[in-house]
Amino acid sequence: MLGLQIAIDGFAISALYGLAAVGFTLIFGVSGVLNVAHGGIMVVAALVGWFSAGALGFGTYWGTLCGILAGLVMAFATYFVVVRPIQHSRAIPAEETEIFVLTGTLLWGIMIEQGMAYLFTDNPVTMRPLIGGVVNIMGVRTPRNEIMIAVLCWVLIGLLWLLINRTRGGKALLAAAINPRGLTLLGFELSRIYLFVWTIYGVLAGIAGVLLASFLGVASSNAGPLTASAFAIVVLGGLGSVSGSLAAAYVVGYLETLTAYLVAPTLRPIPPLILLVLVLYFRPQGLLGRR
Amino acid sequence: MTGEVRLETRGLSKRFGGLVAVKDIAFKLHANEIMGLIGPNGSGKSTVMKLIMGVERPNAGMIKLDGVDIAGWPPHRIARAGIGIVFQHSRPLHRQTVLENIKLALLPDSLLRLAVDPKVDERARAIAERVELGEVMERRPSTLPFAYLRRMEMAKAIARDPSVVLLDEPFAGLTAAEVAAFSELIRSFRAENRAVLLVDHNVKGVAALADRVLAMYLGEKVAEGTAEEVMRDETVRRVYIGGKIEASQKRAAVTAGRPPLLEVEDVSVFYGKAQALDRVSVRVREGEFVSIVGLNGAGKTTLFNAVSGLVPYAGTIRFAGGDLAGRSGGAIARSGIVQCPETRELFGDMTVRENLDLGGQHLSAAARAAQLAWLFELFPILEDRQGQPARTLSGGEQQMLAISRSLMMQPKLLILDEPTLGLAPVILEQLSKAMERLRRTTPITVLLGEQNVTFALPHADRVYVLEHAHIVWEGDPLRFAAEMGTGYL
Amino acid sequence: MSRILHAPSFWIAVAAVGVAAALPLWLSAYVLGVLTAAYYFGVFGMAWDLLFGFAGEVNFGPTFLIGIGAYAAAILNNVLALPIPLCVLAGAAAALIGGLLMALPALRLRGPYFGVVTLVAVLLLQNAIVIFAGVTGGEIGMTVPDVLSIDTNINYWYALGFLVVCAVLLFGLSRSAVGLILQACGQDPIEAQALGFNVVKHKVAAFCVSAVFSGVAGAMLIFYMGAASVDTVVSISIGVQVIIAAVLGGRRTIVGAALGAIFLILASELLRPLGQLNTFIVAAIALAVILFFPDGLLGYALRVGERK
Repeated sequence: MLGLQIAIDGFAISALYGLAAVGFTLIFGVSGVLNVAHGGIMVVAALVGWFSAGALGFGTYWGTLCGILAGLVMAFATYFVVVRPIQHSRAIPAEETEIFVLTGTLLWGIMIEQGMAYLFTDNPVTMRPLIGGVVNIMGVRTPRNEIMIAVLCWVLIGLLWLLINRTRGGKALLAAAINPRGLTLLGFELSRIYLFVWTIYGVLAGIAGVLLASFLGVASSNAGPLTASAFAIVVLGGLGSVSGSLAAAYVVGYLETLTAYLVAPTLRPIPPLILLVLVLYFRPQGLLGRR
Repeated sequence: MTGEVRLETRGLSKRFGGLVAVKDIAFKLHANEIMGLIGPNGSGKSTVMKLIMGVERPNAGMIKLDGVDIAGWPPHRIARAGIGIVFQHSRPLHRQTVLENIKLALLPDSLLRLAVDPKVDERARAIAERVELGEVMERRPSTLPFAYLRRMEMAKAIARDPSVVLLDEPFAGLTAAEVAAFSELIRSFRAENRAVLLVDHNVKGVAALADRVLAMYLGEKVAEGTAEEVMRDETVRRVYIGGKIEASQKRAAVTAGRPPLLEVEDVSVFYGKAQALDRVSVRVREGEFVSIVGLNGAGKTTLFNAVSGLVPYAGTIRFAGGDLAGRSGGAIARSGIVQCPETRELFGDMTVRENLDLGGQHLSAAARAAQLAWLFELFPILEDRQGQPARTLSGGEQQMLAISRSLMMQPKLLILDEPTLGLAPVILEQLSKAMERLRRTTPITVLLGEQNVTFALPHADRVYVLEHAHIVWEGDPLRFAAEMGTGYL
Repeated sequence: MSRILHAPSFWIAVAAVGVAAALPLWLSAYVLGVLTAAYYFGVFGMAWDLLFGFAGEVNFGPTFLIGIGAYAAAILNNVLALPIPLCVLAGAAAALIGGLLMALPALRLRGPYFGVVTLVAVLLLQNAIVIFAGVTGGEIGMTVPDVLSIDTNINYWYALGFLVVCAVLLFGLSRSAVGLILQACGQDPIEAQALGFNVVKHKVAAFCVSAVFSGVAGAMLIFYMGAASVDTVVSISIGVQVIIAAVLGGRRTIVGAALGAIFLILASELLRPLGQLNTFIVAAIALAVILFFPDGLLGYALRVGERK
């Protein structure tokens, strides 16, 4: 009974984590950027979604849309205000760019977190479920919303797979992850490809943020832990590897759910972190990483 | 006269994954001897140097320094045992003066000796004088010209009085006058009873200095002897020049009156402080096949990258009358200048077909299909390999794919950089036939950069020789054999 | 020695310390309290700069070392009632072990990966403190029975003295032969090895030195405040403030980190009326500095000086 409950909850939360982490890992794969403001962007989507659905009276559906849009806008802002200026700066030596991007997005994440707490609230908020009702799965009462979230995440991941593997733009994106220089020589503008991947990322992070708000609830202070989860997932899966990230999302999702049910909800984030440290010590390329 | 054996290697081998970078290298280096280690890019010469220094660990073989086997030691121990190295690219401490940089090399490897021994200061000053940096030793490296920085690196390498000095491409980025002065400095090591190993791309670079030259190709030793002997060696000539030089003048008269397509005027390029191109001017007319020959490191790739908008440059580059300044690499490629680089830059994990499709992405579906059919006719092997990931192809097939991918873009000007690099003679023949076919059946303009003269000349309407960042010769291929042929290597 | 006595920057520093020591004559207890905390932060920043600016190691979790030192001292004082000096020493020893633990992955992992590990280390420490709430006081924190002094002025002078001593030691170390070697190891490890230096040894030593200074400063800070809590010595935002201070002041200058810390804490004090927005604005200022003056304020001043 409890086992099934864990299986169901773990499945849904893992799907959500996977969705958020895929965008994160794509950005790293294509442009080598580790975006530490990731959790902040999800929080923006969640809070804007919650605010426009409730306080602004847009209703759940339009609220959700506003939230996703806010996630997209923040992703663009992160790229244009922080990442791009650092990459193009002449005062920053090339070998230190990665570190500056990391520090810059860290500061940006703090600004987002504080800004959200100031504009909205620093209390946890929960959006009303997109669809109501409960189904009984072999004795486990499961909200329809939770099932819908798991299904939606997998549909989106499937669509993303099609986008990358079956469309021209997606192929270019894949090629950029393998060899950006080769792509320039074929007449592609890398700046457009970066914009494209940040767009995908923004939409995915936005959707994940809003869905999280309607599933577990989100507070502005979740920005840090959300980034940490995404990091853990992406590093476990091997940076830049999409399928690795999806697998790692399930490892982390289930580890967290197991801890929450069997040990204590407060200890939720610890096992993935320990696993992450162990993996980094013994297999720095990640569980499924290449090389 | 050379003295006792200082450095000896036997059976030295190194693999990176499946790639054999160095295979069974054996040589002896004596005191007060200068030996040149040469080979084109990827021949394994730099790896040999890293193995000696301990930066990479050998898979097999031994390295003896003054009779002690040092293979597998960490670099800092090898350095203390008596080997000094000058890396090609180094990053000096920028906040410190030249003198302090030299002092660094004299410090003991201790965590507790906080104060600098006064003798160190004295010795550092003496070394600075020795390499003729006396006047600038209180200045910071960032305020000095490149040649001085090279001298400073040299000072650091000899600071601990090593018995063996390794020099990686010591003359790269220096002017002719600086090369002469620098050679004098290296020669003076002989008087100090040191053994010197010069690593360079070609014999010419080290001929004046080296007592003996060892040539490597694809990880193996191919020749050893005096500079003259190595230059005459059949294998070495085949590696660098190809075989017999043939030339054609069939079309030169036809293209002579056509308008210029690419005009490169007084282009200079610097990497940091090193000069890679010095006021180079090159002109390519519509429909012409122009070859730029030059040894590795002469500046061919830099020139092509400047044209493709991949490196910043001074001077003007015009294409079909329009200035290329300020255009992005992607925009230049779309305007019709397509480069097929030396490194090929394939998308290794994608299939052959996917690679080709990316090249033809700017074309309409019909045009793409037609182009693809034409290319499969040119390189039939690619049609069979369509579904295979590009990285699983052989070297020759990869080169064909790289060229085809560039041709998918229907270039007005195709830049081919070292297409023969590391390829077997059979493949060269196939490529050569494809070039000939391309030249006969299409109006395409080609700019080819090659070290392999045999490959470069038969198709060329005109030839430039690039040497040490300068264009030193320009003319038709028939005159090349007479005027440049012997002095080229 | 005589060269130092002739350097104008030395006399500027002496004068600055003199003025700082006399500040209790004019300033209110409140402002002195703010400055006292700022001085301890200055030491955090300097210890971090030794690792980042000189050894080239990106440590995103300075509070891992600070927190270990602070909590070790606090627990010993609370549970065993050991005197303050012993507790501070124990804090230093605990931080040293933490530094060695950190050095282990640093030698195996490349820049960004190591950065991630350090962040994770802080999160783990934070969680450990919450789990063992019985000893650590958990999220609320713990008070320590002993304090350095109850007199504001004396506390201020303690902090100033500590800052000056640490600055002299760390700055001296950075300018010593060992500092030169460390800088070479951080800038180009392969070349440093080829010059005959054991890079591993020097980097591990740098971790140890940085850890000891961080640990002692962390312990001193809690004996000044009379309490230890996650929010004051462990949380990632504190660590980020340390990094901001060092980057703001100028990497690779040691002293810049201390100036940056003082500037940062005074700035956020001035911005206090803005309430929640205060951290937002400080982060925004730091981001602007990174974007427009990546060498930091002191680094920028030095660069301008060099050009003359």
